Amino acid sequence: MLSLTDLKKNETGQVVRSLAKGLLKQKLISVGFVPGIQLTMVRNAPLRDPIEIAVQNSLITLRRSEAKLIVVEKL
Amino acid sequence: MIKIALAGQPNCGKSTIFNMLAGVNQHVANYPGVTVDKKSATLTYSGTAYELVDLPGTYSFSTFSLEERVAKAFLVDENPDLIVNVVDASNLRRHLYLTFQLLELGRPLVLVLNMMDVSERRGLQIDCDKLAELLNVQVVRTVGARRQGKEDLLQAIHAAGRTRVAEPFRVDYEKLEPYIARIEGMIAEDVSLSRRWLAIKALEGDEVILDRIGVHRETVKDLTGEIHSRHDIDVDQMVAGLRYAAADLVYHKCVKEKGSGKETFTARIDRLVLNQWLAFPILGLVIYLVYQLAIVQGYKLTNYTWPLLAAGRNQFFSLLPKGEFIDVPLLTEFGIWMANSVLALLNYIPVFFILFALIAILEDVGYMPRMAFILDRVFRKFGLHGQSTLPLVLGGAFVGGCAVPGIMATKGIADDRARLATILTVPYMNCLAKVPFYTLLLGAFFKEQMALMMFFISTVTLFIALILARVLTSTVLRGRETAPFVMELPTYHIPTLSGVLLQAFQRLWLYIKKVVTIVVAVAVVLFVLLQYPGVPADKMAVYRSQADDALAAFSLVVEKTSYASLLADPEQVFQLLNLYDDYRAARMLAGSADAVAALDEKFMSRAPELFALVSAADAETRQINRALRNLSNVGKRLQLDMKNDKITSSYLGTLGRALEPVSRYAGFDWRVNVAFLSSFAARESAVATLGSIYEQGATDASAEEVMARDGAYTPIHAASMILFMILTPPCIATMVVVKLQSGSYKWMLFAIFFPITLGIILSALFFSAAVQFGWSGVDLMRNFYIGVVVVTLLLAFVKTKQSGWYVGKTH
Repeated sequence: MLSLTDLKKNETGQVVRSLAKGLLKQKLISVGFVPGIQLTMVRNAPLRDPIEIAVQNSLITLRRSEAKLIVVEKL
Repeated sequence: MIKIALAGQPNCGKSTIFNMLAGVNQHVANYPGVTVDKKSATLTYSGTAYELVDLPGTYSFSTFSLEERVAKAFLVDENPDLIVNVVDASNLRRHLYLTFQLLELGRPLVLVLNMMDVSERRGLQIDCDKLAELLNVQVVRTVGARRQGKEDLLQAIHAAGRTRVAEPFRVDYEKLEPYIARIEGMIAEDVSLSRRWLAIKALEGDEVILDRIGVHRETVKDLTGEIHSRHDIDVDQMVAGLRYAAADLVYHKCVKEKGSGKETFTARIDRLVLNQWLAFPILGLVIYLVYQLAIVQGYKLTNYTWPLLAAGRNQFFSLLPKGEFIDVPLLTEFGIWMANSVLALLNYIPVFFILFALIAILEDVGYMPRMAFILDRVFRKFGLHGQSTLPLVLGGAFVGGCAVPGIMATKGIADDRARLATILTVPYMNCLAKVPFYTLLLGAFFKEQMALMMFFISTVTLFIALILARVLTSTVLRGRETAPFVMELPTYHIPTLSGVLLQAFQRLWLYIKKVVTIVVAVAVVLFVLLQYPGVPADKMAVYRSQADDALAAFSLVVEKTSYASLLADPEQVFQLLNLYDDYRAARMLAGSADAVAALDEKFMSRAPELFALVSAADAETRQINRALRNLSNVGKRLQLDMKNDKITSSYLGTLGRALEPVSRYAGFDWRVNVAFLSSFAARESAVATLGSIYEQGATDASAEEVMARDGAYTPIHAASMILFMILTPPCIATMVVVKLQSGSYKWMLFAIFFPITLGIILSALFFSAAVQFGWSGVDLMRNFYIGVVVVTLLLAFVKTKQSGWYVGKTH
């Protein structure tokens, strides 16, 4: 099982499910991380954390600790 | 009046649409009980009046974030007649997610496709008629930043305001529909809101809605449990997935992507701005530019605005009643005090204006979230947030800033705990107005090591702020609501001049309104505390007799001259004295011979007879002039002595002495205490008070020299004072803003007393150590500096528990 943090720069994946709970779950849903959606790892921050993801036509940044909770499969 | 709610996701350009519709005629307040801005405006279009309310930008209407709760509460409680939903046309699919939820409310809706220019540039062809038909709403195209589409939007609002929604668009929730229907059946008859919307919210477990419609939480839990066991997915993820699927469907029916395949403008800039190696230099450059333009250049600008303010002040002074030798009317003293207090703050208006304008530009461009992206890792270690960068810089992370705009810039920080920690630590940054105080002490005690000491002072503050942020977030702020760091990096935009100016003026006005009014109130209190009970009667008698002696001596000289009858009335003597002092003061400023001639002319016309004695053209008038000079000098000396005695015996002076038993451990005597106490109104007063207490009689020496010569203080006293000043509470203006932004007096009081306690403890500790081990003043400062840096580094390496975030009750 891959998590979002396992994607390398410019790799594309598809969301399988989110293991997040409560607030984080809602927040991730509302910016577009729902099962079946495609996303691309854009880049790491200069200090490696947080990371930037292209999803649903927009650029979202999140910390690695939170990105770990999104299960993806590589495309 | 038709009530319109303006709704949209963050970064849809909603505020440009609001500004386009409302113009300058807008009203900013808070939503009840919370510190979220509520912008509203009234407008009239073809004879109908509308009230437009700007909702906070939200992705959805969950109960988890403050903004979403506020927006939902408004929609539920105020039940607006019409919703104007702004969406980013270049990102339609995701923005439809909110649109569907708004449509479920069953209110008339106008869909605004904003940022049409960006979407066209990206090769998107949006079929608006098709979209309008599918969603059964009016669709308007706009470019808010360029004010395009205003008329169309107003027409659509006008039309929508008078129609009822026949058949609103429905997202098909497929397998969930039976459950929605079941909950709808449980809702009481008399609800004004859409039953379907309430049922969906209830199914999502929204407790606010559940309480409102009187459905038991257990009932819904049973339903969601049933769904989960049948379909192996959480209800909220399922609902979201279905909404996105519906959005996808609508999107493909209405939009043709003629993607050029070219990299977008934003992606190209980001490759530079967020580049692994270039990000920090660019960030540094941006921060340096903000600092340079606002603080340095703005400060220079005050050289031009100050004479204007001073001229106004002098005009005001000339209206105040004149003194009679040593008796200055209370009203006059009060007027001078108040004018100086207010002017000290108004003087910073150019700095604030430039700062506010630059912040507005950074926000509009879209750089702010990127700043957070770059620095989040560093700040997170100390309980702060990437978005804390700008507030700390404005507060004075370099040589000097101001906590007021710094704290005002914390508004956007999503994480409540980090936001409060930032609010409480920004005041530790180097306040510009502390600089004169430092220069006074450095000039008096550290002439040789001035640069080194200034380096310590200006760099130690950031470390202190980081330490305190970490300490506060793991103690008193531990229970505050925090938010996950999930943030959108918006597309870059070129800001508009009108938008930037409007924002800068709005913030400046808020500052003037809130801050200046409170500073006036505090200045009145301080005036009373410094003025009463006044000079003791026995001392006053001595001064009075000295004054009488001086007046008698002057009369003796005058009696023998032809001016005896002119000056027989004491009133005339007082007038002459005031004329003499005014002339001397004005003469000092008049540089050229022409200016002096003009000045003479002016004074001549004011009092021709008396002026002859001031200008002293012949032997007789010269004789009187000499006596007049003596009289004036005696008067000035007596007034200073009286002022000194007044401060000594004043309530504030008494308080200063009462604190001496504690403060002497830090090396502060009562005079220093009074200076610190009065600095609370505005930093500048510390120097002024210290200066006036030290001006023992009329001496030409500067305050620095007097202090150094006085002998009561040594360099370690001075270093201890500097240490206390670094940590001391912020000025009253900052406190007002802390109250505004934290929404509670509790935090304001904490922000006052915590630094005082910390400051006095640390000053006492280092002062005693310096006495014990025979450190010099520089040693004291250096050891303090090393201590602070070591603690910061230790904290950076100690791991915090990665609890992530915590949702609690806010406010």
